Amino acid sequence: MPPGETPSDSVIDAYKRDIDRTLIRHNLSLTVEQRFEQLKQLQEFAQVLRAAGRQAAKHS
Amino acid sequence: MTDFAGLLRTLSNHGVRFIVAGGAAATAHGSARLTIDVDVVYDRAPDNLERLIEALGQFSPYLRGAPPGLPFSWNAATLARGLNFTLTTSLGAIDLFGELTGGGTYAALVPGSIAIELYGVTCRCLSIDQLIAVKRAAGRPKDLDVIAELEAIKEESTNR
Repeated sequence: MPPGETPSDSVIDAYKRDIDRTLIRHNLSLTVEQRFEQLKQLQEFAQVLRAAGRQAAKHS
Repeated sequence: MTDFAGLLRTLSNHGVRFIVAGGAAATAHGSARLTIDVDVVYDRAPDNLERLIEALGQFSPYLRGAPPGLPFSWNAATLARGLNFTLTTSLGAIDLFGELTGGGTYAALVPGSIAIELYGVTCRCLSIDQLIAVKRAAGRPKDLDVIAELEAIKEESTNR
């Protein structure tokens, strides 16, 4: 471990290897408001998925 | 679902002094993670508590996860007695922080924060370095992945 580095830095570096940078690059090309609109769409999608999951569990 | 525009406009239009923190701040910086609430650090000066009460009062604020019917009064005295509040409102979930571990109070955070233009209002938002610092200070295993993403955002921003 390089001097001055904390144990968590090595862990974070390990996590960093799995970060999808294509998503980050796309988000950085958006305005802040567009990023929030995208988040809103993601929330709506998550809500639809949860409802579908509940429905599927009811019928299984 | 959280009405980000509604919450931020309401706070701004009532002159509440606050800083966007947490997942919403990470979104502002380019995070791809799903967050469902708005975290804000608020100034605990008495006039600001009154503004906060006025701003959110019309949206039925209540302690999130608490059983219905508790004697929860949404007023400045309640805010003054507590520090951090996790609330549900008719605009969605909002967490109010009087202080952040590793970041401190509104007054300590505001000089390093950034201004963001959003939904027709200008809000203060934690800088990416402040976000990383508070996530590191929180020391929660679940934040390791978040810190990694924020650091990747910093690197990608520098490379642009």
